[in-house]
Amino acid sequence: MINLKKLNISEAPWKIAFSASFLSFIGLVALSSISYQSPSIVQNPFYKQLFFLILAFSGFFITSLMPKYLIHKYAYVIYSLGIILVILPFFGVAHAGTYRWLNIGLPFNFQPSEFAKIFSVLALARYLSDNTINIQYFKSIIVPILIALIPALIVLNQPDLGTALVMVSVIFPMLYWSGARPFYLFLLVAPVFSILTAFNVIAFSIWALIIASVIFYANTKIIFGAGYFFGNIFFGLLSRPIWDTLNPYQQNRVLTFIYPEKDPLGAAYQIIQSKTAIGSGGLFGKGWGEGTQTHLKFLPVQESDFILSVIGEELGFIAIVVILITFGYLISSVIRNSFLSKDKFSSLSLIGLGSILLAHVFVNTAMTVGLIPVKGLPLPFISAGGTFLVTSYLMIGLIMRFSINYSD
Amino acid sequence: MLKSDNLVSNRQFFIARSFAWIMLLVLGLRYFQIQIVEHEIYRLKSNTNRIRKVNKNAPRGLILDRDGEILVDNYPVYVLTAIPGEMKDKGSQFKLIADYIESDSSIIHSSYKKYYRGRFIPTRLAKDMNFLQLGNLEENKLNLEGVYYDQIPERFFPNGVRAPHLFGYVKEIDRSIRKNLKNKDAYELGDLVGWSGLEKQYETFLMGQRGTSFYEVNASGREVGAAAELDNTRPIPGNNIRTTIDLQLQLFCENLMNDKRGVILVGDPLSGGVLAATSAPDYSPDFFTGLITESNWKNISTNPDKPLLNRYIQGTYIPGSIVKMITQAALLEQDNFDKNNKHHCPGFYQFGDRIFGCWFTDGHGDLNLVEAISVSCDVYFYKTVTQLNLKNLYDTFNQFGFGSKTNIDIPNEASGLVPDKGYMSKRYGKYGWSRGVLLNLAIGQGELLVTPIQILNYINLLSTKGRSPNSHFVFVDNLPQNVKPELSSEIWNNIHDGLRSAIVSRNGTGKKSDPKFNDFLVYGKTGTAENPHGENHAWFVGWADYNKEKYSIVILLENAGSGGAVAAPMAKKVFEKIIENSGFASR
Repeated sequence: MINLKKLNISEAPWKIAFSASFLSFIGLVALSSISYQSPSIVQNPFYKQLFFLILAFSGFFITSLMPKYLIHKYAYVIYSLGIILVILPFFGVAHAGTYRWLNIGLPFNFQPSEFAKIFSVLALARYLSDNTINIQYFKSIIVPILIALIPALIVLNQPDLGTALVMVSVIFPMLYWSGARPFYLFLLVAPVFSILTAFNVIAFSIWALIIASVIFYANTKIIFGAGYFFGNIFFGLLSRPIWDTLNPYQQNRVLTFIYPEKDPLGAAYQIIQSKTAIGSGGLFGKGWGEGTQTHLKFLPVQESDFILSVIGEELGFIAIVVILITFGYLISSVIRNSFLSKDKFSSLSLIGLGSILLAHVFVNTAMTVGLIPVKGLPLPFISAGGTFLVTSYLMIGLIMRFSINYSD
Repeated sequence: MLKSDNLVSNRQFFIARSFAWIMLLVLGLRYFQIQIVEHEIYRLKSNTNRIRKVNKNAPRGLILDRDGEILVDNYPVYVLTAIPGEMKDKGSQFKLIADYIESDSSIIHSSYKKYYRGRFIPTRLAKDMNFLQLGNLEENKLNLEGVYYDQIPERFFPNGVRAPHLFGYVKEIDRSIRKNLKNKDAYELGDLVGWSGLEKQYETFLMGQRGTSFYEVNASGREVGAAAELDNTRPIPGNNIRTTIDLQLQLFCENLMNDKRGVILVGDPLSGGVLAATSAPDYSPDFFTGLITESNWKNISTNPDKPLLNRYIQGTYIPGSIVKMITQAALLEQDNFDKNNKHHCPGFYQFGDRIFGCWFTDGHGDLNLVEAISVSCDVYFYKTVTQLNLKNLYDTFNQFGFGSKTNIDIPNEASGLVPDKGYMSKRYGKYGWSRGVLLNLAIGQGELLVTPIQILNYINLLSTKGRSPNSHFVFVDNLPQNVKPELSSEIWNNIHDGLRSAIVSRNGTGKKSDPKFNDFLVYGKTGTAENPHGENHAWFVGWADYNKEKYSIVILLENAGSGGAVAAPMAKKVFEKIIENSGFASR
């Protein structure tokens, strides 16, 4: 039962919802600029986005009114449902060689992995908020890692590296928030870096030094410390010969998976065009509808993944700063509410949801200016894209719900 | 608020918050670097140096004859294109172009309208530019901002072989075509796709892979060189396909059919490969290349002789006597049938109150089965067919592939029609038809409809005693396997005897097809199919055994009269040509 007396609407952080709507408005402005030559209403990104915004707002109201105890009670059920959802596309038809979308008989497709992200966060929050576990022990972080890893591995096979990375990345802030020792988190990531740095002697040496000093500062048992250190070195040394046994085409496939820029027809071309678009925008931009790069159709996914290139070119650095500050305000409000939250489940859910948003913002924004390899992650609230837009507002709804402190 | 109220420490809160803001700050600095510090570089890049991506269409694979002679080739043609968004004043520029290439600006304008796909996509203005025209344009390049020319490969036919129905044609992909393509991702607007014939059937082999080049272009749209940051990919040409067609024989048959209406098919029964295939009248194979004017299209599509129709796979004809061997086989499969028993032909046959005439109204006298085939007596079959029922005959037709598609490797094949009881009842009412239907079917008249390619398969099966592979036009590894008749060797021999007798006996109807050459043994059957729409259709079908090789032939001449008189002599000419070029099926 929802006790309406205790559910104080005025306590709700409306500023978060307004920030999100403001970002969507900027997105609509950019979309209307690139929509003018679309042949039909159905294909027109602007109208499509308006339609999905209506859906998104309804989703927002539903999740923001959902009783917290129900979310807590069914967190694992929803999580299992999410896993089934991300497996389903494998039984369907491949779209452009991937199994990310479900055809649900509507004129658009549905991407279940977007929902699975939220479900992972809720399941993790439920597990970590359980008072019976003692997070100070290393073994108690194994289960949460599995919770995050299972859907991520399925999504990785779709294949969708970007979404999988987001799913895994929430584990670190959530573990940190629930009091896990940062040293353990370091132990988790270290082998990945050992493998990656192994291909460069200098990088590998520096990395070995970092491991050694962290282990030294952590004051662990000498046997464990030494074992972990040499284990990592061994990992690193092994990765090179294993890599060499792969066929060149297999190596290439891995490389283009991690660095799509290696494929000059696809991503490298996009990045050059995206940077040219943004750079030529300057401080104030070329003006709405005046973006020459954008309108040359050089960017294939300008309405979704590369919407910032359109904004950067037409509305300039000013607009980018406004967008980044709005995101910063939104995310730091989420962190603040999480900090102020009276119950652990809400607090962890908030930090997890905030992390998803931050991961998306960072990956998308950094990708459009060539800071990191191209990953197909859209920008929350701004990019055109059905499922993700709806998911973003579902998250805002949940954030509103978890931010209201009341006692059941 | 008390600190103890909170689940996380101030320190954790501070670190998390700082982490988020630092990430956003890094992003902001990167945008500052690109948009403010390096703005000038990118502004220049955007205003004066654009990278243009140009698709290079891959040349389609060639179509070869059985010896590797080129039947369908590619030929580079120059096209004039314009990027609409870069043109200053279309009207005056079109006029200038028209002057330089001595054309009319309205023609250029209509081409522009037809090919326009977007403001920054090259749009075709004119095609088949010669070097003089290109030279003129190049000299006046300064007045022609946004105008370019490009080379595209186009189909041409170097050896004079027409065969438009066999080769088919390619079509440029526009929006509506692309929407309906199966693997639409492999194509872009303006690409070519096989639209009929072999071009369509073997599209995946022939299409090749598009290449992409990147150019830096300056403000006036001139290419200033390759884009250094990006690698070009070369187009990969499509695979060639080797057909079973024999160039010389194909040319010979096409000449034979000049001014006629009908079909010649020559096949190799041992492999199933088709050596020559003509459907006359036809049209020039480059008819569909480039723009077709409306009047040309109207002329060809309303022509009463139907040149667009591929007669050998889409034309359905009444076969007449050429299917009597089906009746022969069905009869021989009856236990109580005596093939040596003679029946009398007085020139007609009375069935109930109806009179069925023999084509030879004087009557053939007494004859057995082989003699009946030899002189193509109708009455013999009227009399004997009473031992059969419609189902027996229907099944035998089916075993030889009639009534269903032959799975020949060019698209849009017709399946013809073999009437069964259900069909007849539906058409004429439950009792509206009688055993008279059986009499008609026995001599290949009535409702029965066949395509010439079905007849070729049927002849191939007869000549190889049921072992011939499917007819096909391209050498492939896995031919589709259709149903095949299984008859005893006694029945096969009887059929061969009848068909040989039709050529060599004194009254044989196919006599005129025999080139009378040593070791060249012709087997054949003529047909004169009554036809409700005019003069009879003339058929000659058969094969020749020659040096362990076999050559099957199907000739159909529409409204030309009697098979023995007009089709058989034409078969003789084809046989003589085969003897002249002896021995190609083995190659």
